[in-house]
Amino acid sequence: MTAYEPSSIEEAQAVLRSGARFCLAGGGTAVAAQPGVDVLRTGRLNRILDYNALDQVVTVEAGVTLAALQRELAAKGQRLALDPPLPARATLGGIIAANSFGPLRARYGSVRDLIIGISILRADGTQAKGGGKVVKTVAGFDLPKLMCGSFGTLGLIVTATFRVHPLAEATQDVIRRGLDAAAVVATVAALRAGQFEPAAVVATRVPGGLYDVAVRFEGFAAGVGQQISRFQAEPAPGDIWAVHEQVRCAGPVRLKIAALPTDLPRVEAALAPLGGAFSWYATLGLGFISGDLDLAAIDMARRSLAGLRGSVVVEAGPEGLDRWGPPPASLALHKSVKARLDPQGVFAPGRFVGGL
Amino acid sequence: METATQGATGSAQVQVVAPPPASFVARMIAIVGEKNCIREPAQLRTYEADGLATFRVTPGVVVLPGSTEEVSQVVRAAWEANLPIVARGAGTGLSGGALPVAGGLLLGLSRMKRILEVDLANGFLRVEPGVINLDVSKLISAQGYYYAPDPSSQSVCTIGGNVAENSGGAHCLKYGFTVNHVLGLRLVTYDGTVVDLGGPVQDSPGYDLAGVVVGSEGLLGIVTEVVLRVLRKPEATRTFFATFPSTTEAGNAVSAIIASGIVPAAIEMMDTLAIVAAKAATGLDWPEVGAALLMDVDGPLAEVEHTAAHASMLAQKAGSLEVRVPKDEAERALMWKGRKSAFAAVGRISRNYLVQDGVIPRSEIARVLKEIAELSTKVGLRVANVFHAGDGNLHPLVLFDARNPGEEQRAEAFAGDILRICLRYGGSITGEHGVGADKAIYMSEMFSDADLETMGMLRCAFDPSRLFNPGKVFPTPRLCGDKPGVYKPHSTELSGDAVRV
Repeated sequence: MTAYEPSSIEEAQAVLRSGARFCLAGGGTAVAAQPGVDVLRTGRLNRILDYNALDQVVTVEAGVTLAALQRELAAKGQRLALDPPLPARATLGGIIAANSFGPLRARYGSVRDLIIGISILRADGTQAKGGGKVVKTVAGFDLPKLMCGSFGTLGLIVTATFRVHPLAEATQDVIRRGLDAAAVVATVAALRAGQFEPAAVVATRVPGGLYDVAVRFEGFAAGVGQQISRFQAEPAPGDIWAVHEQVRCAGPVRLKIAALPTDLPRVEAALAPLGGAFSWYATLGLGFISGDLDLAAIDMARRSLAGLRGSVVVEAGPEGLDRWGPPPASLALHKSVKARLDPQGVFAPGRFVGGL
Repeated sequence: METATQGATGSAQVQVVAPPPASFVARMIAIVGEKNCIREPAQLRTYEADGLATFRVTPGVVVLPGSTEEVSQVVRAAWEANLPIVARGAGTGLSGGALPVAGGLLLGLSRMKRILEVDLANGFLRVEPGVINLDVSKLISAQGYYYAPDPSSQSVCTIGGNVAENSGGAHCLKYGFTVNHVLGLRLVTYDGTVVDLGGPVQDSPGYDLAGVVVGSEGLLGIVTEVVLRVLRKPEATRTFFATFPSTTEAGNAVSAIIASGIVPAAIEMMDTLAIVAAKAATGLDWPEVGAALLMDVDGPLAEVEHTAAHASMLAQKAGSLEVRVPKDEAERALMWKGRKSAFAAVGRISRNYLVQDGVIPRSEIARVLKEIAELSTKVGLRVANVFHAGDGNLHPLVLFDARNPGEEQRAEAFAGDILRICLRYGGSITGEHGVGADKAIYMSEMFSDADLETMGMLRCAFDPSRLFNPGKVFPTPRLCGDKPGVYKPHSTELSGDAVRV
């Protein structure tokens, strides 16, 4: 197994044309290497290519880390409104490929909502782009969205263009403690009913415990103040996101959970046999459960979640664990897309859903 | 056989094209019923164009299915008969995306307008494609929810058409486009197979194929259900209308407001001609100045009080002549009516006009408008500008009189040159109207051969027979590589013994 780390797009093209199969890697925060497959790392493709603060648009090479980009943007009072774990290591290319996100997704959406353009290398090294460098374009098929969450199976992301947002004038966190699942759902309903506009809402609980719901309000000070004064919660003592961060990064097993937000009580029941600490993005219906989970309970949890139109995906765990569960009903279409873009199966063979 | 006859005056030549085989028409009637299968020539001609009336082609047959099952059977039959399929919603598109193929099948989805699921607690609706955009918001308005994407045609255009074009609207600056509000969809693929992509639960494992289908302009399949994200209405909205000596000051005001950290819900610009037209259509007492901005901010009350006041101050600092605040909701609605009716209103000041749709970085608005104005003088044709200033999405309307020999051709050339200016500034040839039949020729000026080849691979992945909306989006026809010529299914596939994956 060889590892390559090209320092330019041309070098990356040359590596791809060597005829090997490749596991594409950014900061290594989301996806493990594949045994017997060469690794192509983007770490040296780390330039910020174009940043126009006035237009709130930035173009980066794929290996730029989120933290490095945020530093550059913060100098102009802006940020990319994405906050997945491990920003010092996570690269923008990896964030796109793994559809990584954090609490801010509640307000700003996921990477698919923030990316506006992309450039990739196909398996034969051909460079192709989609989208553009303006915040709005509908010309051509949406290659940027195709790459979001494609886990390095369709092409090597080499550059990406994002819409960025102004940094908030004020940010304030509050917490509601000791809620059961029904009360978490009720909290979301109360936020909606009261026309609050939280930036993040995350409910976290230790194994078997009750939930602490962390809520962030941000924006102009007047609006933040008004919302804080109306929303019944305790002021946050220090970093209320730390426990959530632990859940997001912990092992040895970590699962991503998806279901409708109001189904939390049923989700909780389905996950109970697994054990582990649980963080639930309460407005989105997405969560993560991690710890020394009971592996034998995963299949059952999967079946229960499937009955709720949801899913369970293994983010971290021992080799051989079925990562994706049953393939989607549209597997034939997935295979067709993979076969057209990577006909030789160069990229991450067998890694994705249904053995793609 | 795909000859679009052009003529803004409606003087299209009549084409003689072989109608679909009688056996195929009989099959259509068997699927959708006699009255939902249109064959009579005069009736067929009512489907010959969409909102871009300069392109007209009469379809061979129009079929109006009433369910996913019927769409599936129709698509299957068309694939077996090797007939092109063009989908159509309300026909309000401005790029000829629903332009029929001569002698081909036009699939009208207007009968499919059921609301299938309403779940406001989880923020979604599941609807059929023929549901009208504004009807979604009307349905849930009493409960305090709405559907954000708001194309100007929203009182007539359909969700299916919005999905095909990834439609935008004035309020996309803050809230995003159709694709940001589609959680999932049901797709009938080239051979009639029905698949669900995405769904109300986010992040279903697999590629974001729903994200790819949105905005694919009817080339990848027929959407028969859409799961829409709907939003809680904001607590408060503040609107102002500011006038400026010219588009330069107005453009600077837009930049200053955005640079201050405000994300307006909408910020729209009109130049003198657009103001005059909007006044003529609505009776508004707007002054005939060089430019005007119409801006919304929304959100928590205390926040919008702050941002509205701050934005108003910034507009004044940038040189505004006057800032008007509507005294009540009725006046606010009238101001927005003035903006949203501006395209049609231009018909009051010009016999004919072309609507252009290009995007530039918003910081370049003043410079680009100046270039367009210079070109306008040089060409001798007037341009009215009414557009989404916040995201740099220009809508120059090129005014002409088709009775003057050669003027229409000059207008078209001018509109094309405007797109080239947009590209020169790093922009796009379309921000929300789509490529369709109108702009396919400009695709190769924005994208390389490799870019287009890659998009073509995606097309072939969904539709190896390339029967969905042929002649749109791509500048040159491309084959699907390993299947040269028009795809013919193998007999084992037709019999159901094999499935192509």
